[in-house]
Amino acid sequence: MFCTVYKWLISQAADSGKPVSGFVKNHTRRCDSCREFAQLCESLKPKLAKDKQVILENTHEALNKKIILALSKERASLSGRKGTARTYLARKPALVASLAAAFVVLAISLSILFIVIPLARDTSSFGRPSELVSAASPGVLLVKAESPLEKEYLELKKTFNATTEYLRSVLDFHIGEQTE
Amino acid sequence: MDRTSAPEHLSDEELASKAAEGPRSLFEELVSRYSMRLFYFLRHRTESDQDIEDLVQETFLKAFKGIDRFDPERKFSTWLYTIATREAVSHHRAHKKMKHNPVGTSSLPGPEEVVIRKEESQNIWKLATSLPKKEYEALWLFYAEEMPIKDIARATKKSPITVRVLLYRARMKLAEKIDKTSLSKNLAGASPAKHKFSLL
Repeated sequence: MFCTVYKWLISQAADSGKPVSGFVKNHTRRCDSCREFAQLCESLKPKLAKDKQVILENTHEALNKKIILALSKERASLSGRKGTARTYLARKPALVASLAAAFVVLAISLSILFIVIPLARDTSSFGRPSELVSAASPGVLLVKAESPLEKEYLELKKTFNATTEYLRSVLDFHIGEQTE
Repeated sequence: MDRTSAPEHLSDEELASKAAEGPRSLFEELVSRYSMRLFYFLRHRTESDQDIEDLVQETFLKAFKGIDRFDPERKFSTWLYTIATREAVSHHRAHKKMKHNPVGTSSLPGPEEVVIRKEESQNIWKLATSLPKKEYEALWLFYAEEMPIKDIARATKKSPITVRVLLYRARMKLAEKIDKTSLSKNLAGASPAKHKFSLL
């Protein structure tokens, strides 16, 4: 049972190329199976290296030729693809110009939709008779002439002032004032 | 051309980086160096020699296309074997349900092949072909390519401990097989000293 562990340790030593530890060495002196395994691990490296040389000596010329032929085809197709890329680049300015034109058209449409039409609506509201009547009073006219943005601004300013006043009254610690 | 800059005098990494920068004809030198090594590495992945040749070719084509991405700081062999492993996996997926022609039935072996097979009969790599493919590949990369464990792990997309286990199993199985054949005598003769081992 323990031989499996010893063989694993011997294999580990073969992986790292370092000698096995003392207790494994002691075991291999007594155990034939582990000793033979250690001998095999030791002899595998030179034997496999030698045998590799033998099998690799037989170069497969046909395979090399086949690969080199495939590589030259690939090289040709790669250079062909580069040519296609150049044509694409040559077409690119036209593409950029058409994209720019599309962008300008889009910007004009959006400005008409969100700026010109709302402005026209605001101006057209003065045309109603009720509005014209209320416009007779100058005070009311001032209010009506304000745009929604201006109204919002005035509201915010009012709220801010009120908040400031409140905070000042609540948080007045009389800092800097002299005490008697 | 300067003698030292001749393709045959350059290292794999130098050749690969030069092929990426300039004339890709330098890549052909890499093909001649690695075609057979890849052939034997991929031997287990398919049943027919034709398929192995196709796999080797595909591996080189992928490497050729991606040579710009090769990092010269790393070993070329690790990079190439990583591509080969990926190619083999894709090939296996694509041909999973297809039937293969058994070895030798597609075409009769030529005289060159006969010589190769005769020499192989006494070759321990021939014996190793009966191992499961993962064990064979780990053995090939460790002993034939002399790759460190971490590089084998990177090339085969496995953890270093898995590689160690595969090598252990391969050695155990080879030990059994060698015991049964006449190779045990040759193997004993191949060791530096019969009873004095550097491991022990």
